[in-house]
Amino acid sequence: MNANTEALVGRVLRASTRGFDCGAHSRSIGDHHNFGAFVKAPITNDSNTYAVGLIYKVEIKDDQLISELVMGELVPDNILRDQRDNRMIPVEIKVLNVGYYDRYGFVPSLPPRPPMSLADVWECTPAEVDSFTHSLDFMRLVLGAAEVPSDDLIAAALWYTASLHEDRVAFMTRAGRRLARELSHDLKRLAHVLSLIRP
Amino acid sequence: MYDEQSPKRLGVVVGGSLSKGLTVKLEASESVEDLAVGRYVVVHGAAGKRFFCMLSDIALDNTNPAVQNNPPDMSDAFLRAVYMGTIAYATITITPMLLIDENGQVMPVKTIPPHFTDAYSATEQDVNDVFGREDDKHFHVGAPLELQETKINLNLKKLAERSIGVFGKSGTGKSFLTRVLLCGLVARGTAVTLIFDMHNDYGWEVTSENGYNVKGLRQLFPEKVTIITLDAESSKRRGAKYDFEVRLGYDEIQPEDVALLRVTMNLSDAMIDACYTLNKLWGSAWVRRLINASVDDVQYVVDNSNIAGGTLNALQRRLQRFERWDFLSEESIGESVQKIVDYLVNQRKSVVLEFGRYGNELEAYMLVANYLTRRIHQKYVELMEKSLGDDGQKPPNLVITIEEAHKFLEPQVANQTTFGIIAREMRKYNVTLLVVDQRPSAIDEEVMSQIGTRVTALLDNERDINAVLNGVSGAASLRQVLARLETKQQAIIMGHAVPMPVVMRPRNYDEAFYNALTSPSSSDTRAFSGGKKARF
Ligand SMILES: Nc1ncnc2c1ncn2[C@@H]1O[C@H](COP(=O)(O)OP(=O)(O)OP(=O)(O)O)[C@@H](O)[C@H]1O
Ligand SMILES: [Mg+2]
Repeated sequence: MNANTEALVGRVLRASTRGFDCGAHSRSIGDHHNFGAFVKAPITNDSNTYAVGLIYKVEIKDDQLISELVMGELVPDNILRDQRDNRMIPVEIKVLNVGYYDRYGFVPSLPPRPPMSLADVWECTPAEVDSFTHSLDFMRLVLGAAEVPSDDLIAAALWYTASLHEDRVAFMTRAGRRLARELSHDLKRLAHVLSLIRP
Repeated sequence: MYDEQSPKRLGVVVGGSLSKGLTVKLEASESVEDLAVGRYVVVHGAAGKRFFCMLSDIALDNTNPAVQNNPPDMSDAFLRAVYMGTIAYATITITPMLLIDENGQVMPVKTIPPHFTDAYSATEQDVNDVFGREDDKHFHVGAPLELQETKINLNLKKLAERSIGVFGKSGTGKSFLTRVLLCGLVARGTAVTLIFDMHNDYGWEVTSENGYNVKGLRQLFPEKVTIITLDAESSKRRGAKYDFEVRLGYDEIQPEDVALLRVTMNLSDAMIDACYTLNKLWGSAWVRRLINASVDDVQYVVDNSNIAGGTLNALQRRLQRFERWDFLSEESIGESVQKIVDYLVNQRKSVVLEFGRYGNELEAYMLVANYLTRRIHQKYVELMEKSLGDDGQKPPNLVITIEEAHKFLEPQVANQTTFGIIAREMRKYNVTLLVVDQRPSAIDEEVMSQIGTRVTALLDNERDINAVLNGVSGAASLRQVLARLETKQQAIIMGHAVPMPVVMRPRNYDEAFYNALTSPSSSDTRAFSGGKKARF
């Protein structure tokens, strides 16, 4: 497998400017589907502009057969294993947009249009994450998103980003100070988020 | 960490006013503990303008008061690094003092920089732009507290053209400071000085509190300074090379000389009146005659004047104290004043009058200082009038130095003493005062207001602080600084001879200083950039 297929997260199922959902095979699930991972999807056909988001929910779907198997009393082991390993169970991955990038670089704001259905969704490369997170402005969109578990999401995203930095403590301190500014009105929440990212 | 030319950013202006000072939110990386009131801060405004400010207050603040109820755990390095400067931060208040324009020109400040302008620690360049460079008219007296490499230079001409006050509690370095100022005036020939040297501090060697000896003016400037003495024995014992012994005649003491001692000798108004009456009755011999007067003599006076017997007896007892003073001779020798004037005016030499053992007798000190000053002042008035405004004919600017100055300038006596007159008439007759005092609040307010340059070390009495700061712009911020000076060798200079009040560490009075005095041009080799400098 080449690097590109390894980083393919899935294909867009539905999308809005706020975020998008994509589907994938249960068999292909891996690190790049982690909660808090940075992913991107093209929003124009020429692939020049990408929506950039954070995975905030990964859902394993059920179907008729699975429901029956879960209920079934004496299901042989080999059937269960076959079901788990070989059958294609749909997995749904939900993404919150934190920005987009085009020829001019990364913009920490909602993209102008959503990605198209069935567009490929890729994991962002470390270099891309590094450049997106340079300003930490993306945190504002996350902190303000009521529909996602934003505190845990930001912590996961920061932990991932910190792992790319040589001086993790310095990065986390910078992020912590930014959080302190954004959350100065809510000290309890601030203390909670800081406890999640304390290096 | 940063070189002198790239200033250290302290924070950003977030509010304030011209009258109350600007509030600067401190950078998180700046520790409040490293700051000190009195330090200089420069705000870099638009178009190369710099607002030169003095730090006057430091405060702690927060963006959310709730943090006070539940303070974060500051022992955790991460939490400390996150909270400090974000939720919890420090602010400083800085008072704009001067504006330096893009050409380095210094001018009064009439506006303030806009919101969110950066504030920096003052650099050497900033300080030099304000205080100018050392040259033959500007004398290096010390350095700002945080910038020991820079120089605060006094404009000597302005220093001498109005009266000077050196204030501070006992032991704060007044005498050392005064010596530094006088060295400047003498070395550059700006003025001659007559020092009434109460504690033999100025002429010859003095031992500092730390036990080493420092040089007197005569040793530093043998050609320009002469010592005369009231107490030859003391001068000899200390090895001071004096020129002559001062003798005053009883017959030269005038009622005004005694009137000055009103408070010190506890003389009543009636006794003062009696002096004038006796002077009329007996002429110039009145003091001697009263001291020697028999009961019959006293009765004769009581019968022939309106002086009460009790008053006369009390006055007699008081004046009999004069007999302990060997420098008073029966008859006028008349030369002391003439000789002093000759030194000052014709030879352009400064004169240090050592008091020796009489320094401990305030009455003697005051009598002699007032006696001589009155006569010398008279000569100056004559000379000035004779010169008819011709600068070449004018006698040199004379600075008369007195200690315990409030005794001469108390409200009760200030309008009678020559010192009060000199302080008030300003430089009309080319005579000004250098007053050294620990209790400025006791000095007459009007006299105080005529003191052009004030140099003050630590004062801790509220009234003294008020007296020194009275009439000074930006006094509120200086008050904080003044009460927090170190107990030694720190002072604020304000007024006529400096463009703005400045907190400084006076120069060490030591070998290096002596050497710098004798080769003034070599003392400043630093190159100054910034084109034409505003010379203050
Ligand atoms: N510029 C200076 N250079 C060196 N030493 C200094 C200087 N200023 C002050 N000192 C030290 O402080 C001591 C006290 O200074 P000084 O005698 O001038 O105080 P003062 O205010 O005149 O005291 P007093 O009121 O008792 O006359 C000195 O003996 C000396 O050790
Ligand atoms: Mg002294």
